[in-house]
Amino acid sequence: MNPKLTASERMIRLLAVIPWVVEQQGAPLDEIVARFDYPRPQLVEDLTGVVFFVGVHPFTPDSMIEVDISDDEVQIRYADWFSRPLRLTPGEGARLLTAGHSLIGGDFGTLDEGDEAASPLLRALAKLGMALGEAADQAVEVRLGHAPAETLPPLRSALSRGEQIDVEYYTYGRDELTQRIVEPLRIFSDNGNWYLHAWCHRADGERIFRVDRVRSVRLTGMGVEHRASDSGGSFTPHGDDPRVRLRLDPDAAWVTEQYPTESVETDPQGRLVVGMAVSTVGWLERLMLRLGPAAEIVSIDPPLSPDLVSDAARRVLERYR
Amino acid sequence: MDKLERLLNLTAALLDADRVLSAEELRRRIGGYPEAKAAFRRTFERDKEDLRKMGIPLRVENVPGADPPIEGYRILRSEYAGRDLRLEPDELAALHLATSIVRLDGGETGLHKLGGAVSGAVDAAEVGHVPFDENLAALIAAAADRRAVGFAYSGVERAVEPWRLSFSRGHWYLAGWDRIREDQRLYRVDRISSPIELLDDAAQPVGTPTDPANLRGWELGDGTPTTVRVAVDPDQAAYLHHLLGEDSSRHGETSVVEFKVRNREGFRSFILTFLEHAEVLDPPEFREDVVSWLEALA
Repeated sequence: MNPKLTASERMIRLLAVIPWVVEQQGAPLDEIVARFDYPRPQLVEDLTGVVFFVGVHPFTPDSMIEVDISDDEVQIRYADWFSRPLRLTPGEGARLLTAGHSLIGGDFGTLDEGDEAASPLLRALAKLGMALGEAADQAVEVRLGHAPAETLPPLRSALSRGEQIDVEYYTYGRDELTQRIVEPLRIFSDNGNWYLHAWCHRADGERIFRVDRVRSVRLTGMGVEHRASDSGGSFTPHGDDPRVRLRLDPDAAWVTEQYPTESVETDPQGRLVVGMAVSTVGWLERLMLRLGPAAEIVSIDPPLSPDLVSDAARRVLERYR
Repeated sequence: MDKLERLLNLTAALLDADRVLSAEELRRRIGGYPEAKAAFRRTFERDKEDLRKMGIPLRVENVPGADPPIEGYRILRSEYAGRDLRLEPDELAALHLATSIVRLDGGETGLHKLGGAVSGAVDAAEVGHVPFDENLAALIAAAADRRAVGFAYSGVERAVEPWRLSFSRGHWYLAGWDRIREDQRLYRVDRISSPIELLDDAAQPVGTPTDPANLRGWELGDGTPTTVRVAVDPDQAAYLHHLLGEDSSRHGETSVVEFKVRNREGFRSFILTFLEHAEVLDPPEFREDVVSWLEALA
């Protein structure tokens, strides 16, 4: 279940478990395990071997916590010091607020402020907001991705109904608008972009599409024939794509945020060396021209032209002659 | 004595006492600390640091009446517990679902403090990942609580009253009132180059923040914008219009697109993604900027 918890992680949990059990006037062990993500053997050991000995000077029976486990039911008494849970830290509050607001409105598409389903979340965020400050409800806004209003809803509906769709897609690497039949497998957001993970009939394989590059979606009425492989839906670059290793100056570190990297190391001079799959030569040319002197190609496997960058630069310059 | 037991006893002792306790008093009351002075000091310092990392509000105050002054410690119950949110089970479940669906980088959500996961593990696929760090958490907390903050940005110290933190197109932006410039400003949070320092209460009312979703990299910056004209090949023009959120049905010959540019580097980087399918026409200094950049690479 869990890797071994540190003393701090166990303490954080106990400071939440103790007031909760006290307020419930007892609780089943298994429920504590599930609620607080506390491995059962560790929980039992900590309750009977640690909490049982916690108290204040002079550590007489009336100045110590009483713990009793019988029939898998936990009772905790005389834990006055820990009768209330520890306050949320500003960081924890900010994280909860952010996660909650990620699901509200915007282009998430499944929860709108008027939805009945959104109501518990809105109530929770209102209560959380009261604890965080008067301006909490306006303090954070999250857009998981950007896509034209007419794109995401049909993709979601095709996904939930298991329907093939006909999409027009701007292929980034190949400079063209393509048309293809795809079978949606999953829609997800990463770093501010929506992605469609789908089986593509044109490529005869699974592909990841950026939703903001989809120009149009048409439902076909045909059911899907493929299921998602167990790749988890994150980036699975083509196994036979060439791999490039780039050395980046500090001001080019944004590359690791915007593109999927397969490895990130730091060289002795403190510069990043990143490994990436090269989906198309055009993609690498664009990246290198944008980065200019801030990046250098360490290696490409299998090798591409050593003059790849300078050739691309000359090609663009031709336009300016 | 087990470290966990000692930390719990230390916290209980500090919560139990209604006065400031010195390190020596704590050592006598708790037990389990090393006898030797130096070893005790080391262990005690580590324990204090552990409590702080857990978010326990440990106060350091002088022990009253001690001469020479002796440093002492206390935890106020009111500060320890904070406000009771009184979340209903469905509200807690909704928050738990949100933290399962959207993964934020690093850190705890503190959900267990509110009563933990309602029905054990939620069976929901993660659909989103959002970067998150401690500076961002501090800014959100300050915006919520209407506190001003100080930080370094572009090599300049700023004093800002934060209004809103927005995640848009892969970046976090801070919108707020810049006290030094006496104007509304928008900042990229990942470009803040110092920890966030909490200042006094915000004085300006919360304004209407600029929406970073409508901003492009080349529009971010100080100063007045320059109009730059670019010729784009027809097949690329369709995508460009699509990208700019405009009608993409216009086709034809090479199309000329105008940009309002505040950030020359950001604009150059964007235009180069079109490779030889786009050409900066004017003004001359923008055209020359692209040409000399490429000549250095050719």
